Order: sequence, then structure tokens, then C-alpha cells
Amino acid sequence: MMLSPERLALPDYEYLAQRHVLTYMEDAVCQLLENKEDISQYGVARFFTEYFNSVCQGTHILFREFSFIQATPHNRASFLRAFWRCFRTVGKNGDLLTMKEYHCLLQLLCPDFPLELTQKAARIVLMDDAVDCLMSFSDFLLAFQTQFYYSEFLESVAAIYQDLLSGKNPNTVIVPTSSSGQHRQRPALGETSMLEGVEASLFYQRLESLCDRHKYSCPPPAVVREVLGNVQRLTFYGFLVALSKHHGTNQALGALPDKGDLMHDPAMDEELERLLAQIPDLVNTVTASPEASCLPSRTPHRAGFSWRTLHHARKVDAESDGSTEETDESET
Amino acid sequence: MAGLPVPLPSAKMAAVEKRRPAIAPAAGFTDSGRPSMSRAAATAENEEDFLRQVGVTKMLRAALLKVLEARPEEPISFLAHYFENMGLSTPANGGAGEPPGQLLLQQQRLGRALWHLRLAHHSQRTAFNNNVGVAYECLSASGRKKKPGLDGRTYSELLKRICRDGEAPEEVVAPLLRKIQCRDHEAVPLDVFRTGMLTCFVLLEFVARASALYQLLEDPTLAVADRRMGQAVLDTLEGALQASNSATAPAHYLEAGSLLGPDNLALAMDRALVARRPSSPMTREEFLEKAAALFIAKVKPVG
Repeated sequence: MMLSPERLALPDYEYLAQRHVLTYMEDAVCQLLENKEDISQYGVARFFTEYFNSVCQGTHILFREFSFIQATPHNRASFLRAFWRCFRTVGKNGDLLTMKEYHCLLQLLCPDFPLELTQKAARIVLMDDAVDCLMSFSDFLLAFQTQFYYSEFLESVAAIYQDLLSGKNPNTVIVPTSSSGQHRQRPALGETSMLEGVEASLFYQRLESLCDRHKYSCPPPAVVREVLGNVQRLTFYGFLVALSKHHGTNQALGALPDKGDLMHDPAMDEELERLLAQIPDLVNTVTASPEASCLPSRTPHRAGFSWRTLHHARKVDAESDGSTEETDESET
Repeated sequence: MAGLPVPLPSAKMAAVEKRRPAIAPAAGFTDSGRPSMSRAAATAENEEDFLRQVGVTKMLRAALLKVLEARPEEPISFLAHYFENMGLSTPANGGAGEPPGQLLLQQQRLGRALWHLRLAHHSQRTAFNNNVGVAYECLSASGRKKKPGLDGRTYSELLKRICRDGEAPEEVVAPLLRKIQCRDHEAVPLDVFRTGMLTCFVLLEFVARASALYQLLEDPTLAVADRRMGQAVLDTLEGALQASNSATAPAHYLEAGSLLGPDNLALAMDRALVARRPSSPMTREEFLEKAAALFIAKVKPVG
């Protein structure tokens, strides 16, 4: 056991709040009240043992209400992990799904999962427009992870972005030539892109102070710096795309493996195969894909459908940005 | 959430229940579709009563106090273990029928004592001392006709268990056990018990760190370290231990260990490297044994 003086020096209530101890204790009591029969059979201590063990393992969020799923960073990470583990096969099969279909999958794990959040994640993948396009599983997952885990942070980011766009920041002058000297070293690359979005250095200053005082989880400041340090100007969605694709975000969050390994989980593959081998009659229906139960059946030709073109289209989008994000911002 | 004062769990629990009265299946109380205020309040009150009656309120309060006392790094898994142990010590109604045999009882007592001892790290001295006290009571209240108290046999058994679970090689800790063990039929007073437990836990940590140190010296391909190098480190260690002349509390040895700055060590190792002659290897066991011997030499024997 290593020592952590910081933890030992905190006042009691701060220690408890920081680790969300009371959130879980309260929830344990709620669960107990909902399952009174269980405790008459197994005893209270056993009930609590199982509850806290399931919290440790991250299985406690399955089929729970949204308010609970987003209540703590651990719950959010557990949900992301559960989503990945349950529907990884979608990605493996190379299926592309629409936002609504991903939303169905989310609702299988959390019946009252809000559509708004899925939409926001889809906007990150699709750069704001064309929300009913098809998306690959890993693209959606990474965007969804950023949106879901950091949603409070992203809301503040959106507000800051709006401020900068409308020039509310006292230091802001959006005209590029008037920005402080050291940022003007590089010659402007694309004339058109210069006028879109906000200036990265200003944006970074505001986000840096946001990270400092933000009481919710924030992406690692080093990642934010890197994302904003590579460009002169960028749009809100440009920022979100870069943030969600940055491996540092995924690593800091710790819920999912590296992007390259998203489809790779030999232990679980083996387990699946072992289970499937036990029920030979079901092999065909089960491997057909887990969403079969809730989604319209997918015709085979769609699996290979325009993955390349879609991907390409998105890349083009990323470079020359959509101009619609301002209108979109105002509704969030 | 961080800045807000946290209300007592019972008050907050009640608030939670009020927010979602329809979910709780308290039959007959929430059957109507529209929950009225008074009904919701009644349900909450009813549930509070229920929680009190079943003993949940008391149980959670005790658990919360333990969490605050120990301040574990992972409070949730701490709670899981806490309740698991509680479930083992008080089998649910309908569980184990007949009382367990004497030997089993003894094992259970040892298990519970160990569990209490591990709740808090020994550097959190107040919490650790409290837990030592509870463990001592666990072991003393033997329920047999004999006079209460802890005998040397149980105490030695506990020491062995701690060392075994601490994954320190037996030959490394054996000299310590010889020093702090009591005779089988001797009564063990609380202060001897406490010193013994503390020394044991500190030694285990010392050995763990020595082991980490050895890992740095180890040649990964040969799985052994250079003898001169190992000896140089051990000598530096010995020097640091002798520097702290206050020989009362074992914790001072750890302090002295922290005085071993990396630069000091590096110097010693550099000297050993410069005087390079053909050298024999040193195994992990030997290194640990020698390091532990330095520590154990400072421990006062019991009695």
C-alpha cells in the first residue's frame, strides 16, 4: 500500500465527495429498498458486498437509469466499457450504423438514454451536418466517449467558443492580422479557412483557465494544448474531432483500449466462441450481429457501402470546415 | 460537488427516496399513479423505519466511520471487503446450521483479526492502533471457559499468517519472528501485541522496498545482481540505519531509509563499479536476507 498524503489531509466530506462514497452508499440503500426480498433471503451484508463488488467491476451501471449512469466519472467509464464490450462485434463485422441505430444500442443498456447526447456524438463524427449518415463503430465510439465523459466540460467549451466567435472576449479581435506577433510567424495556409472558427491561441488561453477551475472531469491539458497548438484557427467541431481522436484523451479516460485494439480482445472472443459452441443451433442467428433484436435487418451490401467515400468526405469536411456550427451552437 | 458540504447519509437518503417514491415497492403505499406529497413523505418515513429495523442505518454508519478512519485509496472496494467480512462473521439466518468446531472458530477469529489489522496502513497510527485494539479483543474473547486473554500460541500464529500473506520469503522473516514471538502459554499483553504487529508490518514493507531495490540492481538476463553492487547498496543502507540513533520506534528505520537519497546510493554504486574486479553474483534471497537482517538487528526482543 502506498501513501498518499493528499488523500489523508483532506477534510472528511471532501474525501468522501472526491471519491463519491456517499453517492454509492445512497444508491446501495435505494437498491436495497427495491429488492427487499433479496435481503430477507441473503442478509444485508451479502447484499452490500455484492453491490460494492459490482461497482468495482463496473457492472453496476447495466440497465440503470441515465441519471445514475452519468452520476460519477467511474459510472461513465463503466458505461463506456460496457457499451464497447457488448457491441464490439458491430465494429468487427464492419457494419456502419446511423445515429438512430447507435441510439438503439445505447438504449439496450440504459433505457432512458437521452437522444440529444447521441446526436451530439454523431455531430462530432459527421462534422455537424448530415446526422443521418452511416458511421463506423470505432468512430462513433471515440466521439461518443468524449461527448459523454466530458459533457459538462464541452458545454462550457461551447459557451466559450460562442463568446470568442461573437467577439465578447475583451482581448479578442477576430481579424487575423491583429493577433499578437508570435502567432503570425507562419504564412496563412488556406485563405478561406483563416476566416472560419476562432483563433487557436485565444481559444487555448480560455480553455486552460477553464480546465483549472472546472469541477468536472476535463481532458488532460497537455492534449488540449497539443490539439490547439497544431493549428492557427479552428472551429468548435474541428476541436471536438481532434480531441476525440487524440489517443491521449482515450488513454486519460482509461475506459477503452487503444484505438488499434478496439476490435481486439482475444479473451472475450474465445469466451464467445466457447459459448457459441455450446449452442450450435444458435450460431447463425447470434453471429448475425447483436443489434438484430432491436434494429431493422441490415442488407449485406451496406456493410461495404461507401466506407471510403464517407471517410473521405469527412476528411474534406475537417479541412474546409462547415459553416453551420454557429447555428448549431446556439441550440446547445 | 467538491465544494458542497455533504449532508449526513440518512438525511440525504430520505431526500433520494422522496425524489423517486414510485419506484420503491412498498406495497399499498404508492399504488396510485400520482404521488401526493404526504404519501411520498410517509413512504420515506416508512422506509427509514424499515432501514433502522433491519439494521441498515447502523451498519452503514459503522462502515462510513471505518472508511473515514482508514481513508483507503479505493473506498468502494474497501467497502466491498468490509461487508464481505461482516457477512462471513455473522452468517445470514438460515445459513450455517450448527456452530462451527473449535478449530474453525479459531481460524475465523484469526481471519477477522487480520482483516481489522489491514484496514489501515500502519503509518496512519491512530487508525492502526484502534484496529490493533479491535483485533486484540477479537482474539482474546475466545468464548472458551478459560480466562480471557491472548496466548502466545495464537499471537505467533497471527504473526506467521501476516508474514506469509506479506509474501516475504520465510528465511527472511524467521529471525524477526524468533525475536518477537512469545511462548505458547504466555499471556500476551496489548502493548506487546501492538509492538509485534507494528514491527511485523513495517518489516514487510521494508522487505517489499528492498525487493524493489534489488530489481533495479538485477541483471535481467541472468536474474542475479552483481555482488559488489549489492554489497555497496547494503552498506549504504546500514550506514543510514546506524545514523538514526533513536532506537525506539521501528518507524524511524523507515525514515532513515528515506534518507538514502538517490545521489548517495549512486555514489556508492559508482565506487563499486570503478573498483571493478571479477565479481560473483548475489541472489535476490541473499540480498533480502541481508537487508532484513540490518532491520531486525535493531528490533528489541520481546520479554
